[in-house]
Amino acid sequence: MDIPKELCYLPLRTPKEDTMPDGKSEVLQGTLDLLVLKTLEALNPLHGYGIARRIEQISEDLFRLHEGTVCAALLRLSQKGWVSSKWGASENNRKARFYSLTKAGRKQLCRETTNWERVAGVIARLLQAAPQR
Amino acid sequence: MLSYLRTFVSRIRATFQHANTDRELGAEVQSHLEMLAQRFRSQGMCEEEARCAARRQFGGVTQLKEDLHERRGLPQLEIVWRDVCYALRQLRNAPGFTAAAVLTLALGIGANTAVFAVVDAVVFRPLPYPEPDRLVSFASWVTRGTPHADDLSYPNFFDFRSGNRVFEHLVCYRGEEFSISGHGEAIHVDGEIVSWDLFPLLRVQLELGRSFLPAEEKPGTHVAVLSHELWQNYFGGDRNVVGQGVTINGRTFTIVGVAPRDFRFPVDNPSVQLWSTLAEDAAASEYHPLTEQRGARTLSVIARLKDGVTVEQARAQMDSIAAALAAQYPDENKNRASTYILPELERVAGDSRRSMFVLMAAVFLLLLIACANIASLVLARSVEREREVAVRAALGASRLIVMRQLFTEGLVLGLLGSLAGLLLASACLRVFLPLAADSIPRISLAVVDRRVLLFSIALALFTSVLFSLAPALQVAKVDLVRSLKEGARSITGGRERLRSVLVSGQIALGLMLLSAAGFLIAAFVQLERRDLGFKPDPVLTFNLDLPQGQYNTAKGIRFSEQLLERLRALPGVQSAGAGWPLPMQGNQVSVSFDIEERRVAQPDRPRSDMAIVTPGYFHTLGIALLEGRDFTDRDDAQAPPVLVVNQAFADKFFPGERALGKRIEPGASNGDGAKLREIVGIVGNAKQSPGGTAPDPIYYFPFKQLSWGLGSIVLRTAVPPRSEESAARAVVASLDRRIPVYQVRTMEELSARAMAPPRFLMLLVGSFAVIALLLIAIGLYGVLAYSVIRRTPEIGTRIALGASRSAVLSMVIQRAARLVFAGLFVGLAGAIAESYFLRTLLYGVMGVQPEGTSLLFLASGAIVIASGMAAYLPARRAASIDVMQALRTE
Repeated sequence: MDIPKELCYLPLRTPKEDTMPDGKSEVLQGTLDLLVLKTLEALNPLHGYGIARRIEQISEDLFRLHEGTVCAALLRLSQKGWVSSKWGASENNRKARFYSLTKAGRKQLCRETTNWERVAGVIARLLQAAPQR
Repeated sequence: MLSYLRTFVSRIRATFQHANTDRELGAEVQSHLEMLAQRFRSQGMCEEEARCAARRQFGGVTQLKEDLHERRGLPQLEIVWRDVCYALRQLRNAPGFTAAAVLTLALGIGANTAVFAVVDAVVFRPLPYPEPDRLVSFASWVTRGTPHADDLSYPNFFDFRSGNRVFEHLVCYRGEEFSISGHGEAIHVDGEIVSWDLFPLLRVQLELGRSFLPAEEKPGTHVAVLSHELWQNYFGGDRNVVGQGVTINGRTFTIVGVAPRDFRFPVDNPSVQLWSTLAEDAAASEYHPLTEQRGARTLSVIARLKDGVTVEQARAQMDSIAAALAAQYPDENKNRASTYILPELERVAGDSRRSMFVLMAAVFLLLLIACANIASLVLARSVEREREVAVRAALGASRLIVMRQLFTEGLVLGLLGSLAGLLLASACLRVFLPLAADSIPRISLAVVDRRVLLFSIALALFTSVLFSLAPALQVAKVDLVRSLKEGARSITGGRERLRSVLVSGQIALGLMLLSAAGFLIAAFVQLERRDLGFKPDPVLTFNLDLPQGQYNTAKGIRFSEQLLERLRALPGVQSAGAGWPLPMQGNQVSVSFDIEERRVAQPDRPRSDMAIVTPGYFHTLGIALLEGRDFTDRDDAQAPPVLVVNQAFADKFFPGERALGKRIEPGASNGDGAKLREIVGIVGNAKQSPGGTAPDPIYYFPFKQLSWGLGSIVLRTAVPPRSEESAARAVVASLDRRIPVYQVRTMEELSARAMAPPRFLMLLVGSFAVIALLLIAIGLYGVLAYSVIRRTPEIGTRIALGASRSAVLSMVIQRAARLVFAGLFVGLAGAIAESYFLRTLLYGVMGVQPEGTSLLFLASGAIVIASGMAAYLPARRAASIDVMQALRTE
């Protein structure tokens, strides 16, 4: 990375290193969809910028993403029919595209949440298991 | 699954709204960036810094856009488009190849498309009524002799109709001639006499007025429905014609309705312009009404199955009625205890179905041969393109991508070919359809329409896969390094082998096509050469209607006497007569008879075709009188009843006896009961049915003793027959102005018309065979010429080392001979199998069975000669190679 003292942004789709250099975690592929859906469930409707801010905020700056990837995720989700979108005006009266969760999206969120919890639970148990001697 | 589908649909939608969505995406990214910049500005960055930071945090805008673009649309589609453009460029760069391939394809696809248009019109196109697949044709099944379907009589029809529980409607119909007068000139129209519910059965709404009522089947009512065309042309489209009285056949008919434009019934007889009810046949006259004669089988029947009833169920119920009728009326129905039900569509196509099948098979062979030629061309070209392919592969194109490119090129060629083929097909239809005229039902409906268009596109797909397959498979085997290093020549061996196989395969297919054409031509020649038993030239024939209302039997006979007398007096007319049915017309009436010496019960009596003729008929048509005498004017109702039979009749029913002087009792009469008739003459066998070579037994009644109708007038002329037409018309008009003269034709034309279906089939398959022969010659020439060019250095070396020119010549010829004979060997097996099939089929369609083996030799000979000519040019070129030049190129 040739710009020192800068946060490093890695594209989500092709992770090249295992960890971000300055201790920030890279968003796991596939989890971005879950994050976006979850955000939309809480703040319905919201534009891409808002979603990026919300994820940043909740993760207490531990997650960093190229915000373009949020746009990509939103397109993917709307192709699958999980979110719908509408043009509207943002807080400071800028034109923005507002996304909201559809019925199918809500169901998908449910599915992904249980799935995530199951995986996270397994991994947590694995990590906590006392090493056998 | 559902989400995949949604993704796909939204991608397709996006593909077609590219500009729109691209703009939206740009706007979205822009607003996102601005919001980010705003945030950084509020954190204290200057304008420039804030924008940079926003860009960084957002990530690569262009990358994202490209990424999204790819995800949103269908990138595959764009790749296909790129491939198509590339293929078009490639084809433009090789105009010779492209022209040859497109032309060959156009021939193959064009011929197939034209044939499909014809077959579709004749065999597949649904009947022009609502729910046509529920319509069936209904007939009696005769178990005596060769089992066959037969028409119904009115009493039987009425019994089937009243007992029916499986059909919505059951309608009988029969053709009848009508003459209309009173609105200007008297005209003749073909009509049908039907039971009342024809239009409800077909579910056709009349354009004007109403359809028939049940009560209008009662004798004494005279009602008619006009065709749209008749209404327009003869009645000037006058809407008040409905309800009016019009003079038809000398009686006053009430017009109750007008059928919609383009309405046809029966579908296979477009000339029918008028429909009337069976009240016509129930009317009391000098004869016993037809509706009360159980033995008079004149009716065709069409029916509509009730919802949910299958053909089998319908047959079962109708069979039970038939069985009951057979028990109740054994005299007429003993051999008719079952019924025959066929989808109406199949009945309409009838015998033509088989000819159409032959046509399709033949033209498909032609297509395969054309494909082989193109595959061979493409293969030869792919040798030249080896380097290109290798370079592309080296630059990272996978085999799949290269193959996809090849298939795309094939597809583009195929579509170009099918486009040219469509043009060719519509031209072909215009040339060939008049040959068939109306002799094949519905053939005039053949057009290039949407179905035909789809068919030709499907053919383009099929053929392009077929001829791209070999080259594409070759690509899969290309050894990259070698072809880059050594150029094209190293690996052409496999291709040449493949091309040789293609040529041999072509020859095998060609032999099958050629021998099929040979069979058809031989059959046609056999038909043309047979002894017709009469002399058709120079004879003029025409028909006229005697309006029943004004002409009773006695008046009709008087009219005929006067007419023939005046016609004979015309200068240029040598003799005149009248008769029905004329030879070669096939519309035969079969009547049973009892032989005086061997009397049997009604159902077991022999039957034979019959005709009714006037004195002078035999002489006019040139039918030889072999024994006894011709009819004379004295053979009238008062004279002893007599008959003339033909030789075939005498041989069949009086084998080893002298038929002359024998007496038989035919079932046909003037309404005064059957009479014993003496055979007073024996004439030669005039061919009655258009098919076959066997003579048709027939017996002739004198018109004055059996006055069912005057039939056609025949005139033998000393001048060209057509030139007598106006004089003959004038004679008829001088007797009665209300009598229309129609169907004025020469006997030659009538016979030619009867031969139209076999001629049509023969000409088509014959021209396919000629094209195939041409393609084969071109294919063989291509392979040989190419290999001579490739082997030029080798041949040069051979000559330099002392090989004689003739040895080189024979080397090339031998190669050709190997290819040709390998093909013939395989083809012979196919052709022999095919000949068995064709013989039975031809016997069914034309009634002739040409001899097979000599035809196979002829077809093989034609291929050998064509191949010899194709091989000679490259062989001569090989033999005349300039040694110095050849060696220098090495």
